[in-house]
Amino acid sequence: MIDAIKLEWLKIKNYRVFWILLGMYLFALTVIASGGVFFLEWLKSQGADFNGIDPTIVPIYDFPDIWQNMTYLGSYAKIFLAFIVIISVNNDVTYNTLRQNIIDGISKKSYLLSKLMFIALLASISTLFLFINGLITGSIYSHVWESRFIFDELEFLFAYFLDIVVYCSLAFLLALVIKKAGFVIVLLFLYSMMFEPILSAILTNAPYFRDTFWSELVAFFPVQSLNNLITVPFGRYVFMEIQDYIPFKTLAIALGLLVIYLWSVISILKRRDLK
Amino acid sequence: MARTLTINNLTKKFGRITAVNNLSLSIEQGQIFGILGPNGSGKTTTLGMILDVVAPTSGDYHWFSNTSNEEARKKIGAILESPSFYPYLTAVQNLKITAHIKKCDPAPIDEVLKQVNLYERRNDKFKTYSLGMKQRLSIAAALLSNPPVLILDEPTNGLDPEGIAEVRDLIVNVARQGKTIIMASHLLDEVQKVCTHFCVLRHGKKIHEGKVKDTLEELNKVEVSADYDHEHLKNLMYDFPGTEALETVDNSLLITLKPGFTASEINSHCFAEGVVLKRLITHTNTLEKEFLKILKDHD
Repeated sequence: MIDAIKLEWLKIKNYRVFWILLGMYLFALTVIASGGVFFLEWLKSQGADFNGIDPTIVPIYDFPDIWQNMTYLGSYAKIFLAFIVIISVNNDVTYNTLRQNIIDGISKKSYLLSKLMFIALLASISTLFLFINGLITGSIYSHVWESRFIFDELEFLFAYFLDIVVYCSLAFLLALVIKKAGFVIVLLFLYSMMFEPILSAILTNAPYFRDTFWSELVAFFPVQSLNNLITVPFGRYVFMEIQDYIPFKTLAIALGLLVIYLWSVISILKRRDLK
Repeated sequence: MARTLTINNLTKKFGRITAVNNLSLSIEQGQIFGILGPNGSGKTTTLGMILDVVAPTSGDYHWFSNTSNEEARKKIGAILESPSFYPYLTAVQNLKITAHIKKCDPAPIDEVLKQVNLYERRNDKFKTYSLGMKQRLSIAAALLSNPPVLILDEPTNGLDPEGIAEVRDLIVNVARQGKTIIMASHLLDEVQKVCTHFCVLRHGKKIHEGKVKDTLEELNKVEVSADYDHEHLKNLMYDFPGTEALETVDNSLLITLKPGFTASEINSHCFAEGVVLKRLITHTNTLEKEFLKILKDHD
């Protein structure tokens, strides 16, 4: 375990591209997750109102709702982390260092473990960063400041961690199958932002598919299944019912996908001839 | 002698092509084992399989006794055709990764870098190195853990004459320490100079296996010449009891010796008769001739 994480640490410690990407990611995460008030101010300046309510008084940073709100927003930035994982795996493939690592004496399983630890480390950094960010943002904007509210609904932080781990494992698998980093990055971006959402929308809403077996499939899609962990929370501010918990079924699907990704990675590593 | 590597019926197919066909080999500790063969005969594929980077279609192999393959690989220094390191890291940083994987002490990094003449450039990034320097770094990486086994794949490919001589010296030095070396090469001269044992692969099949010494000792010809009358020398050699056959080649005599006789006995024979030889060359069989013969026999 320690050896696996140290191997990755030695690879990235002096890799400037990694630190730049990580810095950009944490900056983006801060802006997306904690900048909501500025966004609401902007909405107000544009003359928007929610059924006559002034947008700036919407309590999006009140404990404990803040955790679902921030993890939902922060989840959008995870694609940056996926890029870091893609570059890291792609380096090992194109520089042939995956082969060299194995020749030097690690097993293919240890290689998988070291990348998985790397992903878990990135997810832990993000979760911790978001938690601290939440405490700071909450201390500024929250109308309540009692530990029973502050530490309530922390399961969303766990869901956020899992969300990142599963998504980055998909990135790991794709980077191993498709050896061109640039192509994988564009593909993952387009798939996550366009292809799957469009397909999901068609399957869920088009009359031909609605309420059929096909629309049930959407819950198992790689991106949608993770989005279902933390659903859009903002409906609560216009008195709509929202999913303010993590359903067991969604959790099981996400874990199932993780197992499929990792199993695919190890079977590719075992079968592939590294030359 | 302890067994270092055992290969049992190893086969690798790439689609319809059989790169390695039912290969069995055993290599003992301390041998310098050359795997010979024309290009595309399966040498690199074989090394790839015993290093776990090429998945065998069937058959198996094991290192040492009762050692898992990844533990065994930690005790092997491998120098393969293309040096693979992280281009954005320096020599020292790259070797730290090697030391970490091999679970060996990183302290000798400076020492091995001095040994391969890269110490001055140790803090420069790998991507700034020339091909020769990159290859020297892979030698440094292979030596770092002071491994009992060294695997070399075409070790002198792409090196300049100086580099070739350095690698050859290195192989001989390492061999003197009683280490086992397995090397693949199509350069017969190279194998003849350093190896103790060899096998020949062709179309992935082992067609010959033996000791280099035995193969080379089959011929026993000595070439002599002197600043004397040629006929006189010829008569002298007729009288020599070890002469089996005699022929004149240009200005010298080519003598085939009877078994048990050596060139030094010719020398003392001539000297006793008052003839000082100008040239005395023992002709040995070359691996090249033998190799071509082996290939021809299997056509």
